[in-house]
Amino acid sequence: MSELDQLRQEPEQLKDQIRDARKACADATLSQITNTDPVGRVQTRTRRTLRGHLAKIYAMHWGTDSRLLVSASYTTNKVHAIPLRSSRVMTCAYAPSGNYVACGGLDNICSIYNLKTREGNVLAGHTGYLSCCRFLDDQSDRYRLWRHHLCPVGHRDWPTVSGACDASAKLWDVREGVCRQTFTGHEPDINAICFFPNRDAFGTGSDDATCRLFDLRADQELRTYSHDNIICGITSVSFSKSARLLLAGYNDFNCNVWDALKADGAGVLAGCLGVTDDGMAVATGSWDSFLKIWN
Amino acid sequence: MSSKVTIGSDIRQARRAVEQLRMEAGIDRMKVSKAAADLLQFCTEQAKSDPFLVGIPATINPFKEKKPCAIL
Repeated sequence: MSELDQLRQEPEQLKDQIRDARKACADATLSQITNTDPVGRVQTRTRRTLRGHLAKIYAMHWGTDSRLLVSASYTTNKVHAIPLRSSRVMTCAYAPSGNYVACGGLDNICSIYNLKTREGNVLAGHTGYLSCCRFLDDQSDRYRLWRHHLCPVGHRDWPTVSGACDASAKLWDVREGVCRQTFTGHEPDINAICFFPNRDAFGTGSDDATCRLFDLRADQELRTYSHDNIICGITSVSFSKSARLLLAGYNDFNCNVWDALKADGAGVLAGCLGVTDDGMAVATGSWDSFLKIWN
Repeated sequence: MSSKVTIGSDIRQARRAVEQLRMEAGIDRMKVSKAAADLLQFCTEQAKSDPFLVGIPATINPFKEKKPCAIL
């Protein structure tokens, strides 16, 4: 058998190996473990409406002070202009320190830029376009980084999580420039991704009308959030401060609030969305060019 | 000549894919029972400080509507 033939067979064997290893760890389900009281109805009201964009709002992100937020539409003012390899950018995120920006889009690549040195680092590896990416943490000191990059489960490292339109979500070690874990489960495009506040898990939203919870340490999906009445795709997801609530924005202009542990619906907000770091409010941005703040 | 180049880059791509999968296959995995229990513990501990769960008193709500100014 030629080397190429051999190399073509091995991926299937390795994928089977990964699937079996994940099954071996699946000694329980999230619903079995989370025998808590349901969360009750979450009531919110619009507290602010931010007018000023002239066009559809595609993305937003809160600053870590829970007071400032940035939003992007076709007509924003620029603070940093970063020339990219591809002009088709679909997502961007600030690192918590504000020193780095990650972005990606139709070039299938997640690019990280150092805003101080203007250097770019490329994480290639998705076979579909990049719809959403988020930073985990860039505050780790150097020593800790080196020690952990030897450990394959590098989520305490410096990674970022990306979801793409090849229906996979990937965990990246940004310093090494490699993908550490790949999560499948959604069928069509993943449009949104958000870390659990303690960074051990993340939530995704997809065109298959489901949100899912993936655990980084168990390396598998723990929960699906869906309902027969919900048939439209999800455009954005965010966790509340305790992560008990998963807020998801849908293509029908609704925002559903899920009990993340019990997977019951917990409320509806009426667009992209994000919860502040201090948990005090959620912002939603819509194609009607308005941003609303709710709590 | 060009077919050799294509095969060469096919092999390189296949090798990279295999190396990536080997790395992902080799990671340590935690049992779901432990991972899920940890997530539950986190949610329970943080629930008291989650404004969306406990509600926000109007006195400390940073986004409450400002009272209209009455002109005397």
